[in-house]
Parts: sequence; structure tokens; C-alpha cells
Amino acid sequence: MHSRRRFLRHTAASLAGAGLFSAFGNLRVLAAAANGYAFPAGDFKALVCIFLNGGNDSFNTIVPYTVPAYADYRSSRTVLIADGGLAFDQATLVANALAPLAAGGGLPGGLPSDGASYGTHPALAELRDLFNGGQAAVIANVGTLHQPTTRADYQAGTVAVPPQLFSHSDQSTYWQTSRPDDANANGWGGRIADRMQAANTGAIPMCISLSNNNLFQRGDLVDAYSVSPGGVEKMSYLGGGPESWVIGDNAAGVAAWNALLAAGAQQHVFERAYADRARQAVASYEVVDAALDGAPELATEFPDTPLGRQLRMAARLIQVRGAIGMARQVFYASVGNYDTHNYQVEDQHGNLAQLSQAIAAFHAATVELGVDGAVTTFTASDFGRSLAVNGDGTDHGWGGHHFVVGGAVRGQRFYGAMPSLRANNNPDDTGFGQVIPTTALDQYAATLAAWFGVDTGDIAEIFPALARFDAPDLGFLG
Amino acid sequence: MAMIRRGLIQAAGFMLLVLAGIAAAQSHLPDAMLRHGFEAPADGPTSDAEAARFLAQATFGPTLEDIAHLRAVGYRAWIDEQFTQPVATQAPYLDWVNTLPDGNVTDDTRLEIWTINALGTPDPSRGLSRPTDQLRQRMAFALSEIFVVSSKNGTLAYQPWALASWYDMLADNAFGNYRELLEDVTLHPAMGIYLTHLGNQKANAAQNIRPDENYAREVMQLFSVGLVQLNPDGTPKLAAGQPQPTYDQSTVRGLAAVLTGWTWNNTGCGPGSYVCCTAETYTRCGPYNDYDRPVWRLPMQPVEAFHDTTSPKQLLVYPGVALPDGVLAPGGDAQAELAAALDNLFRHPNVGPFIALCLIQRFVTSNPTPAYVQRVASAFANNGSGVRGDLKATLRAILLDPEARYGQWSNAERFGKLREPLIRNTHLWRAMDAIAPSARIVTLTPYPGIEDWYGQGPLRSPSVFNFFRPDFRAHGGIDALGLASPEFQILSDSYAVSTANRLFSVSFCWYRKGAEYDASCWADNYDGNRTLYLEIGRDELLALNDPGALLDRYDLLFLSRQMSPAMRATLLARLNAISGPDRARLRIQHALYLILNAPEYVVQK
Repeated sequence: MHSRRRFLRHTAASLAGAGLFSAFGNLRVLAAAANGYAFPAGDFKALVCIFLNGGNDSFNTIVPYTVPAYADYRSSRTVLIADGGLAFDQATLVANALAPLAAGGGLPGGLPSDGASYGTHPALAELRDLFNGGQAAVIANVGTLHQPTTRADYQAGTVAVPPQLFSHSDQSTYWQTSRPDDANANGWGGRIADRMQAANTGAIPMCISLSNNNLFQRGDLVDAYSVSPGGVEKMSYLGGGPESWVIGDNAAGVAAWNALLAAGAQQHVFERAYADRARQAVASYEVVDAALDGAPELATEFPDTPLGRQLRMAARLIQVRGAIGMARQVFYASVGNYDTHNYQVEDQHGNLAQLSQAIAAFHAATVELGVDGAVTTFTASDFGRSLAVNGDGTDHGWGGHHFVVGGAVRGQRFYGAMPSLRANNNPDDTGFGQVIPTTALDQYAATLAAWFGVDTGDIAEIFPALARFDAPDLGFLG
Repeated sequence: MAMIRRGLIQAAGFMLLVLAGIAAAQSHLPDAMLRHGFEAPADGPTSDAEAARFLAQATFGPTLEDIAHLRAVGYRAWIDEQFTQPVATQAPYLDWVNTLPDGNVTDDTRLEIWTINALGTPDPSRGLSRPTDQLRQRMAFALSEIFVVSSKNGTLAYQPWALASWYDMLADNAFGNYRELLEDVTLHPAMGIYLTHLGNQKANAAQNIRPDENYAREVMQLFSVGLVQLNPDGTPKLAAGQPQPTYDQSTVRGLAAVLTGWTWNNTGCGPGSYVCCTAETYTRCGPYNDYDRPVWRLPMQPVEAFHDTTSPKQLLVYPGVALPDGVLAPGGDAQAELAAALDNLFRHPNVGPFIALCLIQRFVTSNPTPAYVQRVASAFANNGSGVRGDLKATLRAILLDPEARYGQWSNAERFGKLREPLIRNTHLWRAMDAIAPSARIVTLTPYPGIEDWYGQGPLRSPSVFNFFRPDFRAHGGIDALGLASPEFQILSDSYAVSTANRLFSVSFCWYRKGAEYDASCWADNYDGNRTLYLEIGRDELLALNDPGALLDRYDLLFLSRQMSPAMRATLLARLNAISGPDRARLRIQHALYLILNAPEYVVQK
């Protein structure tokens, strides 16, 4: 394992030093390394990250309705929605109740750790049905941590906490890298791909973004290929793109383009990076476009929303996994408008309805494709939000609840510890309404990685802080 | 004497680079050997190439006319001329469109006037006069990418006047003082809505309400001091090897409490208009979604009953801070506390290097040397007359610095920046004298929106973090070398294609010879009168008879004569392969498209 890590580092450094980064050049180097993963025909898995940009108020997404937990919630969220505040009344939560399983059948139970009963935001009807049907689980109060951290630790400053807590840019970075110790780290999806890319036969990156450049999918050697949710668009100048017909036969133009953007033909490091990106785009879209062209349309209908369109394209790319030579795929989708400092009641309803409907359609599509047991979708976000309100919204927090969805999920369960939502003297908050995570992002991510097939040694390398937490695998997949 | 010695050293270093370049790659640096450094950089330009290069940094793209003018007057006089040009505004254009029979004003209308002001084409709302304030417009655009508000916000999407007024505020302050800019930014209702401090209220323990922290956090993180303490040269101050935070959560809470009580301006409120803002109406006053209320252009005002007058407020702490321990004692009214808090921000030693780095990245290079940052920060700290925050002095220092003028020689493989897609586009239009048959221009408002093609559009950022972050490091060699490359964040695979394809349309679809307009494609919005056409008549004879001379002209206009022989040979072969009756036009169009998408052009050096 150590020799492999050295190899990765050495390869990355030498490629950079020689200025030889080029579209797929690095993938070929990796393939030559034959680094230990092999997936026989039919062994397929996909991880789908849905990033909720801005920081979802998960404490108004999954809410207790039994006392005393509900009273604690109301001590923070004092004013009911009907009265112009943010709080759900109990009846609404009961009507949207989650029905978790107790232990049985040789499997552990998944009742909330605080003994309370919980309901969801009413906009999450489809996701609630998936939970109650056993295809989804709630992972409680996940966040970025260096090590287990209590309120006393935080207030006394006796343990290191991630830098720049409550800052969007920093905390969304750390959610994507799971490396709060290293501001320049690559993403944990990318670090997985660095190790597994070579075990795919295809010539495109195993990480595909439906939402442009992101850190989550970026590795030392492998970066994501980003595709437009609307479909593959080709370069007009090279043929097959919009208005290509205007210039007629352009073989000499294609030759000129290839010469200008040829690998290694540029002296300036930025010029090389630009040319590499353009060539990767063209090479990848040729592969993906050919594969999509040969595949029938999905019968599953997706909502025509930003997330619906992204997840539809993810489903299509899973559908053509054979044609593009992928045994393992990592997808990244993202949606914004979660930074609900104001208009939270209106905005969060729309946000969560979009999320719920898109996830339900995506799950249905994986069932249609016969891969629902091989595809796991999970949510991520900058942070949870503050328990305290600022009028008609909430401020930046830290920990927050998340969903995992898929046929492999041991669903209808809560995992991890439910935090107190009390306004004052809250044992789980920083002292200012920001809830300290009780489950580390490392644990959440490592559980997904282990299911995905990353071996124990690589997990320890990818998540170096994992050993500081008691459960390296939260058990929500199996 | 010192000047001459430096010149020789630069020249010697340059020769080594040239030799290394020839050995290493096809592209190499063009000839300018043994000239630079003998005169003070700010005394130029001494060639058309230097003039074009300066204009690529300071404007929305050089034109032949501007190159000639800059050569005639010199950098310093040109900058001084620009400081005095009338401000080209946006809101009056929206007012004008609103009076037309088909005058439906939307967020796209705002992009019409953005285009007119960026290109300097005739403005129909001002009697077809041409905007002449290129430097101011470029500065306003840079500021709009630092002080970010966006029509992607659900409320601002339907308030084009608010955003036009915001942009006008930036243009108005472009050559002013940073302290006034910061106050205007803070009190503009577009920002009040975007970062939600409009309607912010003091703490209410019974309802567990705390002041909204959104603006308080971002004004420090993004608009003034940044997250970590900086040396005067912009490098982070380290203690035990670790960067030191500039502020913590207590500072965020303190500044949030300062910013309580601010809401809509009451000018024009009342019966028949919107609900006036008082202690009784505070949470429900204002125009909100009413269309085009003038109040969207007026600075916010306080309602004291909702301002926190009882708690001490922790603000920034730094050497020489005016407030004792950085704490603002309770009791001040909203206006007085705001002034004290903005002064507290403004006087922080980070502001100079922080803003210097932000602006250098927008105009000149992604990775300035610390010495360059420090020189600009010094100009920010003191304009020479003891004034802090003078943006004229700051901008002069940015553009006339030896590194801005000669960085392409001193650091040939890393100096410069990826050009922003929007600026590649305006560059093409300006260099090719593009105009529309009608003075209204909708070419920047295709379907879907321009930001879906380019990854950016004026005031259309996906978040307050702009289209790209200042510290973004592109995957691969840039990352391995630890370099910043902000604009690469919007060079995803999909934007790499859609940006090229939009430039394809602009290059190949619409062209004119003088007043004779022609098109190969469907016009945007199906209105050929409101589409920009490239002037190909100007270059047709060159294209027909001497494609090499055509390339020389474009080498000047687009690459400041930095085109390598290898690139020139490739383009020449392509142009010579074009025959037929349309060959003059097609040679021009192919040359433009290939240049606009060539690595040597896309990286501004």
C-alpha cells in the first residue's frame, strides 16, 4: 500500500515537473501502474454526490415531534410558520412522520438515538416514502472534524477544529476534500478515482460532473469530465456542433486546431493547462456522445428542474456504462439557493421539493436499469444552519443531517446521534446555536468508500483522520 | 545608471529564456530583445505592440484607433484622460427602453447597455453618443467580480433597475475612494437584499432571534480584509507555520449587531406607493417585488428602534486600531455605528494588499510577485498626498508597474492570466469594429443566458463567491506548481465547448462591409437588426492578397505581437488553403476563430 502511495505522489510530481499533463496521458500512466483493483464483468457501482450549495437547514428538514425534543426545537424556533416564523407545528410533522425500524432479523435497529419520533419537512414526500420503504436512511449531524469534539472542548479551545468554521468557501471545500488539515487537498471522490481509474477499461475519467468544475471529484492524477445536463455539445469548428454547417468541410481547420492545441506544444504553464482541458473535452465528448447515441431513452420521467436534469444525465451515463467502459463511476450534481438567511420558509420548501422529486426519479431510473442495488446517492452541504434565527432565516452552522438513498442502503434507519435542538445550555452546540457534529464527515465518506470497494489500506490513506473516530464504518450500507 | 544595469540584466535573462524556449517547445517568445528596461516602464508605449498589450489589460480590447491614440499620448496621459471621461451609466438606458412602445425591461435589457458601454458603440438613450470611459467600465466590471450581487438571486432577478443602479454605483466609485465605495456597497438595497442585511434586526432573546450574520461575514471575508492576516506584500502572516485568522465568530456577531436597523429608504413611500418603514412596519415595509420603484436605487436608511444600542460590539483588532481593543461601545445610533465599523474595516492593514491582489488578478496577472502587490498596496495606503484608499492611485500603480509592463519577459512561463470569456468576446467585437444596424444590441442575451455559455455574465454570478475564486488552482501542472488560476474555474469541459461555440457564432455568423450587413446564421432573438456584425470590409484586401499581413494585423490586435512563428505558420497554412469567391471573408473568420481559441491568445501575457 505504501509503495502505491509513493507511486501516486511521485507520478504526480514528475508529470507536473515535466509539464506533461495532457488529456489522458495521466490516465495511461495510471493504467500502466496496474494498482490492484479489478472489477469482473457485471461488477458495477456508482456513487452520486448531491451537493446542496449554501448550507441546508437540516434542523428544519428532519424535525422531532415528540416531547421533550419538540419543546427543545421550539425553544430555538419559537415562532410557528403560521405566525410568520420558521417552526413547524407538531401536526405537520406527525403527518410527515418517518417510520424507522427497530432491531430485528439479525440487523440492528435504526431508531433515533434520542428516543424521539421525527417527521420531515412536508416538501420531502418522495424521499420520506423512500425512507419508509427501506431505500433511504438519515445520517445524523455529520460535519467536518479533526477529531471528536465536545462543547467543552470547543469552548475551551482544547482541540483543533477545522479552520474558518461557518465560512461557505472553506467549509464547502472541506466537505469536498474531507481534509480540514490541508487547504490544498484534492477531493475525496478524486482520491478514490486516482486509485480505481485504471481498473476501468474506458478512456474517459470515471468521475463525471453534471455541474461543472468541483473539488470533490478532483484527484492528483484524475480530474472529472464535466458534461452539460442538457446533453453533449460538440465543438462547432471541429464538426457536429451547433452551426457547424456554416463553414462546410473544415478538414484543414481541424488540422490547424489540432496543431495549436497539441500536447506539449505550449511553453506557458497556463497555455498547456488550457490546451489540455480543451483536448480532454473533445476526446471525452466523442466517447460519451457515441455511447448516448446508441442507447434508448429512459422510460422514467424526470422533473424538469436543475437537479432533475442533472440526475437524468447521470442515469443516462449509468445506462451506457458498458459502452464507455466504466465499472465504477462517481457523479457530482449540485443545486444552490440553500443559504437561507431570509425567505427560508419559501425557499427551503422549493429547494427540498426539487431535491425529493429528483432523487425519487433517479432512484426509479436505477430500478428501471436494474442497478438500484449498485447505485448509492448521498447528500452533502457546506454546513448545517444555526438553531438561532435572524427573523425570517437562519445563519451558518456546522453539523447537519444527511440522506443516503439506494438499493444497497440499510434503509428506514437513523444512524449516529441526534443532537439537542435546545436554544440555551445546549450540550451539543458551540454556545451560539451552531451544532457541533457528532459524526465526522470522514466516517460518512469512508462508509460510502468501503461499499464502493475501496480497500481498507486505501481508505486509511484517503481519510487519514478516520482512525481518531470510533466507528470507521457507520454500517448504513451492506 | 541603475536603470541601465537593470535593463542589461533583464535582457540577459530574457535571452536565456528565449534559448530555453526554443529548445523546449514549438511556441517561443517573439522578438523584443535588448530594448526593454532602458526607459522607465511608465513612459511608454514605445511600440504598437506595447500599446496593444496595455489596452488588453486596461480596456475591453484594443482597437487600431486606440492603439494609435495611446502611442500618441503615452500611458500616463491616457490614464489621466480616462479619469476625466463622462461616466457611461446603465439605469438611464433602462428608463429610455421603458418609454418605447415595445419597451419591456428585463434583466436582459441591462446586458444591452452593458454591451454598449463595454464596446463603446452608439448609445440610443444618449442621442447615439459613444461611451468613451473604457478604463472606468473595465474597473466597474472588475469591482462587480469582487463586490458581488447577482440576478441569480430570486428577488434581484426581477429588479433590473436595482442591478443597473448597482453597476452605476460601482462605475461612479471606480476612480473614487475605497472607503466611500465600501459604504455605498453596504447601503445599496441590491446588496441589502443579496446578503440579507436589509431588514436586519437587533437580538430578541424571547424569540431566539440574533442579528443576521450574512453581510457581516462576507464584507470581511470577500470585500475588505479576507480570512487571514496579511503582510504588506499580500503573503499570509505565519505563526508557528500557520496562517492567523483576521477575525473570529465574535467579530462576525459584533459587526452583525452594528448592521441592525437598516431598511428601505423612505423617499417616495406612503399612500399610493409602498409601506413606509417605521418602528411599527419594520418587518413588512418597502417595495419588495414591486416593479421599478425608484427606492431600488436609493441607499438604505435606519429605523433606530431595530438597531442594537445596548451591546458592546467586537470589531476587528489590529495594531493601531482606533477603537479600544476593537470594541465599539454601546449607545451609538445606526449611522454613527456604521461609520465607526466601516472605518474599523478600512483602517485594517490587510485592506491594501487584499484589494491590490484582487484587482491585479482582474487586470494583469493571476500570480503577481509579493513585491508587485506591496507596491500597489503602498499606493492604496498612501496616494502620495497622504490619502488612503485612493482607487486612482491604486489603478495607476497596477497598470504602470514594471511587472505589469514587462512581466511577460521576466517570468515568461507563468506571468499573465486566462482571459475571461466575456472579455475575449468584447475584444473580438472591439478589434473588429462590430456594430448593430439598430443601436440596441441583444447579442449578449442569447438563449440560454450568456452565463450558460461562458460560465459568466455581468452580475450573474451563481453566488457571492463570484464565477471563480481568486485562489482556484486548475488541475494538473498549475496545481502542482501551486499557482492561482481563477478563471480556470469556469473552464470546465462543458464550458470549454460552449464558450468556443459561442465565439464560433460571433466569428462566423454576422459580418458587414460598412453599412452592408450579411449573415450566415439565424440572428439571436430572431432580430438581425439588434445583432452585432464584425466589420470584415476593413481587412478584405489584406485577406485576399496577403494573408500573412492579415495575420500581422491580428497578431497586433489580439496578441500584442506575441504570436509564435509556429502559430503563425499554422494559421497561414489554414488561410492559404481557403479558396473560392468568399475566400477573403472566410480567411478573416477562420483567422479570428482560431486566434480566439488558441492557447497563445487565451492566456493574456
